[in-house]
Amino acid sequence: MSTQAIESLSEDTVRRIADERDEPEWLLETRLNALAALETADLPDVIQTPGRRWTDLEALDFEALVDPLNQSDATERTAGDDEVVVLPFTEAFDEYGDVIEANFGSVLDPEHNYLTALSVALFTTGTFVYVPEGVDVEDVTVRAEMNSRSLFSQTLVVAEESSSVTILESIESGDSEVDGDRYFSNLVEIAAGENANVQFGSLQNLDDDSYTYSLKRGVTDAYATVDWIESNFGSKLTRSDVETELEGDGSESQIVGTFFGTEDQHFDINARIWHRAEHTTADLVTRGVLDDVARSVYEGVQDVGEDAWNTSSYQRENTLMLSDDAEADASPKLIIHNHDTEASHSATVGQVDAEDLFYLESRTIGPRTARNMLVEGFFVPVLEEIAVDEFRDDVEELVLQRLQ
Amino acid sequence: MSSQQDDLKETDTEARFEFKKEEKSAFQTEKGLTEETVRVISEDKDEPEWMLERRLRALEQFQEMPMPTDWPGQPDLSEVDVDEIIPYIRPDVDVRAGVDDWTELPDNIKDTFDKLGIPEAEKNALSGVGAQYESEVVYQNMQERWEEKGVVFCNMDEAVQEHEELVREHFMTKCVPPSDNKFAALHGAIWSGGSFVYVPENTTVDMPVQAYFRMNSEGMGQFEHTLIIAEEGSEVHYIEGCSAPKYSKFNLHCGGVEVFVDEDAHVQYSTVQNWSKNTYNLNTKRAIAEKGGRMEWISGSMGSKATMLYPSTILKGRGASDNHITIAFAGEGQDIDTGAKVYHNAPDTKSTVESKSIAKDGGRTNYRGLVHIADGAENSSTAVECDALMFDNESTSDTMPYMEINESKVDVAHEATVGKIGDEDIFYLQSRGLDDDDAKQMIVSGFIEPITEELPIEYAVELNRLVELEMEGSLG
Repeated sequence: MSTQAIESLSEDTVRRIADERDEPEWLLETRLNALAALETADLPDVIQTPGRRWTDLEALDFEALVDPLNQSDATERTAGDDEVVVLPFTEAFDEYGDVIEANFGSVLDPEHNYLTALSVALFTTGTFVYVPEGVDVEDVTVRAEMNSRSLFSQTLVVAEESSSVTILESIESGDSEVDGDRYFSNLVEIAAGENANVQFGSLQNLDDDSYTYSLKRGVTDAYATVDWIESNFGSKLTRSDVETELEGDGSESQIVGTFFGTEDQHFDINARIWHRAEHTTADLVTRGVLDDVARSVYEGVQDVGEDAWNTSSYQRENTLMLSDDAEADASPKLIIHNHDTEASHSATVGQVDAEDLFYLESRTIGPRTARNMLVEGFFVPVLEEIAVDEFRDDVEELVLQRLQ
Repeated sequence: MSSQQDDLKETDTEARFEFKKEEKSAFQTEKGLTEETVRVISEDKDEPEWMLERRLRALEQFQEMPMPTDWPGQPDLSEVDVDEIIPYIRPDVDVRAGVDDWTELPDNIKDTFDKLGIPEAEKNALSGVGAQYESEVVYQNMQERWEEKGVVFCNMDEAVQEHEELVREHFMTKCVPPSDNKFAALHGAIWSGGSFVYVPENTTVDMPVQAYFRMNSEGMGQFEHTLIIAEEGSEVHYIEGCSAPKYSKFNLHCGGVEVFVDEDAHVQYSTVQNWSKNTYNLNTKRAIAEKGGRMEWISGSMGSKATMLYPSTILKGRGASDNHITIAFAGEGQDIDTGAKVYHNAPDTKSTVESKSIAKDGGRTNYRGLVHIADGAENSSTAVECDALMFDNESTSDTMPYMEINESKVDVAHEATVGKIGDEDIFYLQSRGLDDDDAKQMIVSGFIEPITEELPIEYAVELNRLVELEMEGSLG
């Protein structure tokens, strides 16, 4: 079942992108295969219940949104340490070609769905992060601005045995000349080696003409940890998937999510964990606020496989509604094939507590300020999970901005 | 009271469910489903023209709708071939609308229900009993004092004749239209038998009304329709039980239940389902609750090969409330996909869902539920709680809740836990001299107790007995 053909796309387009970037042959192959996969690939699965489609991706006009040859971004990368490699792919092929080839697409199949295939066929920006064995770095940052109609980004993180790294990425809209709708696609794959520890924070604050598709997936070796922080504030429509496959015994993953929707923003937030080995642990925590006519859709999946003995898996999702016209859909799912499991999930939707408001007002705090304080407070349990000060400050600031 | 309890405990439940009778039917439609089949069913029942039209329209919808296959993780229905089942078998009884006295029944049918323990239960506790053998209701009785108050409890086929206006207004129109899903359409085309309950204004039926359904033939389909109308301020508790012996082919149970809860009325609907493990149990059950009305669904799903059942309530009037309590127990080869659906369409509505599931010996349970709060349903609250217990590593336990919240002034909470039977708990009980099996049984009984305590005593006893049988693995 083909989605929709983008007429302006051809093998020629893909070859031009690869040529300009002077890419190795295998990557051109990968891109061309992805392009060919568009014929048969489906859009990402979207929850549908009787009479309600939670997110309508089919309504996106990719023909108008995708402009592959005019992609433009301004990206600033800092490594904070010489021992770690933080480079755009084009600068990394010479020295790290083998590592890239061995890992690219191994965690996240380029042909996973229509949007991943499109992204791999056309990406022009992104980052390669390589953390050699035993290296420990904390300050890898990638700050990007999007300056074109469409932008496709691809990130690969390879963390070798017993390494540790904290990576923060952010994306904003730059001062571009482009009017109208824009499309940002962001794929991230993380391969965490034995006993490696990767924390990956992502902050999306694009302007409200943008559509965002983001799929981030990590795979853990034994005793490895992959922790995600996924913050979405911008874009008219965001589809975000964060996933970890716990493949190694004793590995762990945490997915922390925040979102804050105003006006007619639509967030489709997904967090998924596959427990595939023994003694694995997962913790999913998402908190979001909705104002005006914003809408959120949340799906959380904890999938415990047959071989996942002694699993612990937890999931919480809370949505706070500030406006009567906002809408929140949620579906936290448990799929359990091993009985040696402790798993729980919970989801709530509610509004600012009237008694709390009354208490603050009785202390002569104005209603607006009181409400804002309570919203800030609502995010605290999630902010506390963010170990990186810089990132926490950014998120807090964006929350405050939205409350003004 | 206590002697009755003892009586029920004494009854050998296993024998009650396993025996089967030699088939001997007066009438059997050809295998398969055509317009002709539908016409024959309708004509044989001497139905008014409008009912035939509804059946034919439903048949058309059934044929147009595709088989549902795209639900995530749904049970495999590929074996369900409607042409293979015999949709309508009327047992060999002369009295079409049922008999009023138990002794008038033919011996083999009477024997069947005797073994199930129905007449004893009726004598002692219940205000009315309807028993359905294959497609027809063969026995129906209502204690006189309820009849005097205008309470109606009769066979659905009889209701079409005797209470035509009420049935015409409510039958598969507002509550469960045949277009709801493929199996509701199938049901609409070939429904047969079932119960009709009418409770007039401000009348409280203080003893439960009970129906028992049983399939005895191989390759059988049962399609009973239950319609309950509870007028303003009334109260009634309806109980249905289902069973079938085992055969090599598959059986299909495709019932329809519609409940109308008028202002401030209160209806409780309890089911203990123990179909044989070749039965596909694909039902559509729905209630509409008006202002201040209260609906309660209590279901125990023990039997069947595959169950897809999501009793639903539409909270239509201000202050209406809904309460779901479900237990699912899946053993070897069973896929019990069940849950609850609640639509909050008015302010101040409340719902609670409490689900307990147990998976064992490779069985699969899934809680699949939907709570929808419409825009404008202010001050609504809903709480969903699902707990699952797993015995071994071959079993699967899934939880798939969906929440759709279009209103801000609400209180929505969903919670679920999955765990295994605690080794420490078992060790503790064993240290008190219980063996391993007894210890596990006791833990399971404790796990489902919040639900059994909501059931009338004889059903709680039966449910507990069924759980014990499942635990022993003797109902394989």
